[in-house]
Amino acid sequence: MKNVILALIILISTKLSIAENLEEKGFNIAKSSYESGRGFTDMISDQLMILIDPKGNKVTREISAKSLENLDPNDGDKTITYFETPKDVEGTVMLSHTHINEDDDQWLYLPALTRVKRISSSNKSGSFMGSEVAFEDFSAGDYRKYKWKYIGEEVYEGDLCYVLESYPIYENSGYTRRVGLTDELLRARKIDFYDRKGELLKTVFFENYNLYEDKIWMADSMKVENHQNKNATIFQWQNRKLNVGLDKKEFEKSSLMRLAD
Amino acid sequence: MNFENRVENFAITILNHRIKVVFSSIILIMLISSGIRFLETPSGYRGFVQDDFKYYQDILELEEKYGNIDVLTYVIKPNKGDIFQKDVLKLIDELTEASWQTPYSSRVSSIANHQFTEVDGDDISIDNFIINVDELSEENLSNLRELAKKEDSIVNFVMSESTNVGLININLEMPEDIAFKKPIDFAWKQKMIFEEKYPEIFVGVAGSAQFSHNFQSVAESDASKMYPGFLLLIIILTYLLLRSVMSSLIALLVIIFSILPSLGSAGWLGFEAQPPLIAAPIIILTISLAHAIHMLSIALTNMNEGMSKNDAIIDSLKINFTPIFLTSFTTGVGIAGLNFGDIPAYSEMANTVAVGAAFGFILSITLLPALFSLLPIKSNYKESVMLFYLKNLALLIYKFKERFVIIISLICIYVFSLLPNLYFDDYFGSYFDRVPEWVEVKDIVDPEFGSSFFTFADIETNEPNGITNPEYLNKLDEFENWLVQQESVADVSTVSDVVKNLHKNMNGGLEEYYKIPDNKALIAQYFLMYEFSVPYGMDLKNQMTADKSSSRMLIRTNYSTAIETVAFNKEVNLWIENNLKPFRTKGVAGIPIMMPHLFTENTNGLLLGLLFSFSFIILVVGLSLRSLRYGIISVVPNVVPFILGFGILTLFTDMVTASHQVAVLISIGLVVDATIHFLSKYQKAISMKLEANEAIQYCFKYVGYPIIIASICLFSGFIFLTQSLFFNNFVIGGMCAIIIIIALLIDLLLLPALLLIFGKKA
Repeated sequence: MKNVILALIILISTKLSIAENLEEKGFNIAKSSYESGRGFTDMISDQLMILIDPKGNKVTREISAKSLENLDPNDGDKTITYFETPKDVEGTVMLSHTHINEDDDQWLYLPALTRVKRISSSNKSGSFMGSEVAFEDFSAGDYRKYKWKYIGEEVYEGDLCYVLESYPIYENSGYTRRVGLTDELLRARKIDFYDRKGELLKTVFFENYNLYEDKIWMADSMKVENHQNKNATIFQWQNRKLNVGLDKKEFEKSSLMRLAD
Repeated sequence: MNFENRVENFAITILNHRIKVVFSSIILIMLISSGIRFLETPSGYRGFVQDDFKYYQDILELEEKYGNIDVLTYVIKPNKGDIFQKDVLKLIDELTEASWQTPYSSRVSSIANHQFTEVDGDDISIDNFIINVDELSEENLSNLRELAKKEDSIVNFVMSESTNVGLININLEMPEDIAFKKPIDFAWKQKMIFEEKYPEIFVGVAGSAQFSHNFQSVAESDASKMYPGFLLLIIILTYLLLRSVMSSLIALLVIIFSILPSLGSAGWLGFEAQPPLIAAPIIILTISLAHAIHMLSIALTNMNEGMSKNDAIIDSLKINFTPIFLTSFTTGVGIAGLNFGDIPAYSEMANTVAVGAAFGFILSITLLPALFSLLPIKSNYKESVMLFYLKNLALLIYKFKERFVIIISLICIYVFSLLPNLYFDDYFGSYFDRVPEWVEVKDIVDPEFGSSFFTFADIETNEPNGITNPEYLNKLDEFENWLVQQESVADVSTVSDVVKNLHKNMNGGLEEYYKIPDNKALIAQYFLMYEFSVPYGMDLKNQMTADKSSSRMLIRTNYSTAIETVAFNKEVNLWIENNLKPFRTKGVAGIPIMMPHLFTENTNGLLLGLLFSFSFIILVVGLSLRSLRYGIISVVPNVVPFILGFGILTLFTDMVTASHQVAVLISIGLVVDATIHFLSKYQKAISMKLEANEAIQYCFKYVGYPIIIASICLFSGFIFLTQSLFFNNFVIGGMCAIIIIIALLIDLLLLPALLLIFGKKA
């Protein structure tokens, strides 16, 4: 009898330790993947956002952006987004200071209003500019925003990939679960998003990877397919440059305020 | 060889091959009946319209642009006080959260997750309207109440103006061809859970999803509740009439074997099991029962008089062949008039009955005699005491024939004068008025919100980003202001409301800025700002197209009748034509627009159907009697029951709905049966050189009893149909029952008197 109990205890503890290992393994891969994309110091790029409805009608929006890497492991990057089309929104600028598991700080300059507005919203799980991308998806690779679990390996487009499951820590997230593929170069290739009722909502494909600065792989195309409403969005990065020596002061609220003067 | 001899030969052949007949008909019937499994689950109100119906196409177009229109709504009402109590808000908050788990849900909106903007100078913070319920003080609660009353997108959408009722609206993105069962089951489970947790608060399920699901649940509950009882009644009735277990068994088999393959054929043909189809088995049953009673009662009488079993049934077939054929035929043709209507569910029911009538006829002349010959049957059949009364009645009519005609004519003239009060209309709000759970919720929602239905209008600019044009938004505002003054409209929400709200919030929250700014670029920038600060499932995608070339108006609609709706729609179109330029719209669309139009167009189709069925049947009867005189006489007992039936209707309501027309089409073929039986027997009596009064006696003796029995069967069948939870079935059942009873009285009282006065003398 004693032996049986002992055997059970060993069995259960190994099971538990495997579970723990899977979570740790997942976390470590996610962390390495995230870190492999770091070290860019700052970055500029032009972005094309193409919205495609189920009938195939396309709407294109143009944005350009600057980002500043934040080396503080407990805080997020700073970005400035310039909106260029449609013509009516030309000159609109958004500055955001992202944070890991608290609300971002966001300032918006509206040229038609000639004022800067600070917008705090606790809930940014919604569609970004009518696309299939949610605000929270822009930090999809930030390992600090999720709990992780290593599931196994799978060949995707000829490459061996780790299958990672992740669960958002962010309380107002629109998702309950994500299942992603990360290849051996630690690049995220594809992520399936499951909505609040646990059903497959959309799939994000990261494509057109380019090696920047001889060390950082960045996807210059992101395709999102919504399985429920059959809409799709394609994001394309152009003229991406890293480590261009941007002025840190540019990323402060004061520089935005200067636009309003 | 004359016709009678041919029938006799046919009957003998059947009896010679009786075992083959029994087995082959059973196998054939099983094969056809196996189609029942293909009967499709009703797809709710969508299955009620034809795919190419204009007003349904409008909905589909709208859905292609803005997503599915179907909404599942929770209705929350505390037993005491309004919704601004901690418990109530907590329930709404928790149920809102739980609602994201609803199968096929795409967005959830309630007062709890309403995005509320607070402004402090240039600082704008957006959050859920209800946060930290546990920490709310009495003062907080009354502040929230005042704030909520001022929010356009709260009042009449997620909270009633009185603040007594709260709603949670869940938009469903249903895959094609899937019924609402899953989300509805989920919602009812939540209702149970939350009512148990908060016993002082009522939680109800409403919205177009529940409305649509009612079609399915009502059909299912009707079938399971009505059929067993009705079958039992029929078994008892048959036994009482025939006094023979074996004969009753034969009747029962013929009945069941007429119903199963007709439902099977319906399945093979891909029909939907909508509530109207529920009536089909009941109608088929009564027709087949009448056939069986006619066949068996004569056969049993013959046996009593000493005939052998086989001779008795052969003789019965000879007597009954023509009337059974004619009655099956007229019933089928009469009800087939429903195909002139625009509602597939009714055409499908009619065609199922027509198929059943055909099976009833075929089985009555094949399987029935074969079984009768095979099974051990002893006749205890006794002539009913009813015959005695019928004889006396015949004498009475002979004596007072003129008075009978005059009195009934006077009644008819009086009733006729009531008929102009009647008008055609329909009220789709009443369809499920016999479903207690639906009525319970309806009684809360309708007085507070008008209804739980929405109507929509897609307003197009024809240019990308056109909706940011102030001219467009002002036009929406103008349209909205006109709409809210209409009686059919409870409230309207448009993207111009969103812009006004943003403009206010971007200008320090000052009320004076609650208007549309005169600057297109500014509006575009507001939308841009709005679009990246909204939570999951709260974006504007269901209100505007991605290229911002058109937007959708949301109109909360009051229940209105078909006439009111058609008039409203006309006025809307007129306003659009005169005022909306340069913008375009196809007008308003939605369930509250589609259903009334469906019934208006259906009514027109059915009137044509009535004309077709009536003239066809009168022609058939005239031809079968081979006499213009009797043809004309036959019109009276076939028309008078309908006049009197509608006269009785005026005691309850003046509104003639599609259901009343359906009732006429169902009963016309049945009413005519008795006339055929009576007149053919009268002709026979005259040809036997009987005096007029003797001829009437003859008719009463031979068909009086079967006519009464058949009418009682039909009457009880339709009374059973009035037990349906589907209001339209209730109306159809009631109306048919009234008509059948009147027809019986007319056939027994007026027709003999008419024949005595106008019929040929021997």
